[in-house]
Amino acid sequence: MGKKVLVVDDDADVRTFVTTVVETNGYTPIVATNGEEAMAKVRGDKPDLIVLDVLMPRESGIRMYRELKTDDALKTIPVVILSGIAKRTFLRSQAALTEFGGQAVPEPVAYLEKPTEPEELAGTIKKILG
Amino acid sequence: MSTLLLIDDEEGIRKVLSLSLRKDGYQVLTAENGGKGLESFRRNLPRVVLTDIKMPGMDGIEVLKIIKQIEPDTEVIVITGHGELELAIQALQLGASDFITKPVSDEALSIALKRAEQKLEMKRRLKEYTHDLESMVKAATDELRRRYEFEDKLIQASIDGIVATNEKGSVLIFNEGASRIFGYSRLEAIRGMDIEDLYPAEIAREIKEGLYGRKYGEEHIFRWKEINVKVKDGQEMPVRFSGAILYEKEEVVGSVGFLQDLKEIKRLEQDLIESERLAAIGQTVAGLAHCVKNILYGLKGGVYVVNTAFKSNNPEQLKTGWDMVNRNIGKVSDLVMDLLNYSKEREPDYQRCFLNTIAGDVCDLMDLAAQEVGVKIIRNFDQAIGEVALDPKGIHRCVLNLVSNAIDACHFDLDRKKDCVVEVKTALEDKDTVVIEVSDNGCGMDEEVKNKIFTSFFSTKSGAGTGLGLLVTQKIIKEHGGTITVESEPGKGSTFAIRLPLRENF
Repeated sequence: MGKKVLVVDDDADVRTFVTTVVETNGYTPIVATNGEEAMAKVRGDKPDLIVLDVLMPRESGIRMYRELKTDDALKTIPVVILSGIAKRTFLRSQAALTEFGGQAVPEPVAYLEKPTEPEELAGTIKKILG
Repeated sequence: MSTLLLIDDEEGIRKVLSLSLRKDGYQVLTAENGGKGLESFRRNLPRVVLTDIKMPGMDGIEVLKIIKQIEPDTEVIVITGHGELELAIQALQLGASDFITKPVSDEALSIALKRAEQKLEMKRRLKEYTHDLESMVKAATDELRRRYEFEDKLIQASIDGIVATNEKGSVLIFNEGASRIFGYSRLEAIRGMDIEDLYPAEIAREIKEGLYGRKYGEEHIFRWKEINVKVKDGQEMPVRFSGAILYEKEEVVGSVGFLQDLKEIKRLEQDLIESERLAAIGQTVAGLAHCVKNILYGLKGGVYVVNTAFKSNNPEQLKTGWDMVNRNIGKVSDLVMDLLNYSKEREPDYQRCFLNTIAGDVCDLMDLAAQEVGVKIIRNFDQAIGEVALDPKGIHRCVLNLVSNAIDACHFDLDRKKDCVVEVKTALEDKDTVVIEVSDNGCGMDEEVKNKIFTSFFSTKSGAGTGLGLLVTQKIIKEHGGTITVESEPGKGSTFAIRLPLRENF
């Protein structure tokens, strides 16, 4: 069994695509369709890497990312953001939340804007997990 | 002290009378003949002259004539010899104020002088009064002119066009604003133009009816309305018009019309609509690009999964990938169809059909998809609805959109313990209106979502929807002259109601 990668996305097609990339490259995918479900799986399955979408119903990737990075037990898990929104927009929203009274959070280890080429995604994951 | 000129050729008389007159308080100038007398008169302009008639050289009559020419207000008293009544009368006719006869008595002189003084005083007062009157009239005239000029300027300066006519409808006042609107100069207009040359027939007729009093007693004020006037080059110009019939003591004296140029306002409106349209296009394009990008991502993903499956010879994975490709091709075709429907400006293709049949077809079509996600479709059709005139394809699409949304709303609902139901109901609301209601007990919507559902590319279906379905539905319903309303509560479900007017003729 390879390292575990949690794929969080509300779009079924994206989940299939990303899990196929993950599997093909020798890792074990776990999926979640929203932030709430994903947090439960982070705690239960202890993934080695999280591929996270930003715009999702119920709990968005913006909030989930913040939750991960401010939890001492979880903040070391690398997070790759895979999103239709631009990196700049995501970082600005995090900065705004920090200013609002939150704790400063580090930038994600990688940020990929959709649509992503499979090789790019695979390369990013490999570089992080080795 | 009054100055008096005494002209007499007899030195004795001059001496005696001077003494007497000085005693009475006059300052007396004397002259021994007509020529010297006139010389003294011109120099001193005395108000009273006492002159003998019979004198050598220039006689008193001649002196009187000249003095009256020089200063008509002078009081001239002539002194005549006894029995010279005719001369006295002649003198009076020539403007002498009085005469006394020789030998001159103090009393007669004093009376004559007193009368002369009185006359002078009256003349002075009359003159003063006349002068006052004149200046009063002048002041009033000036004021009137000022007011007239002010009003004229007011009329001329008005940006609005002002056209006033006499009681027959001929143009009397035509200001610059009116010139700008109509293209006629003021002179062209006031030389024989009639309201019929300027206003549309119905307005001209209304004004004429007002002028000729055929509707006497009615209020003849024309409230602001938009009309097209005929301008010089034969074209029509949009204006806002208001007007009134003018009365003076219940007598019709004319009409007035006020006109505002709407061309500029219309142009600004047009610009605004255009810029809003461009903004809408920009939003639409951005939304469309996002939508297409997502589908493209799904397609690429599908192709990748298929390729991977080939390499690893994994039939299960191949099916998954192929499904993705198919699903996304389906999305592209949905999107294109929605876009076509949305962008097309068209009249509904009215045909005689049965609304219940359309609703039934939709339910039959969706039954299977509903069952797959554990949703039951309930049909509740009003049999009172007979054959109606609708665009069957358009309405089919609307009902299909609502039913498929309702199934999704149930599917998305996280509380799957309840039995999910979609009800499709038709009803004849009154003899002119049919209602189609699609309700579900699915996830429902909060206010924020509810406010956005009829905007383009808004979707809560995470890439599964085009974000155009309700927009297209709304458009088709509007084209039918109908309405679509929605009620929803988060966690309880939603009800969409379409109301369509029934057409008598088609």
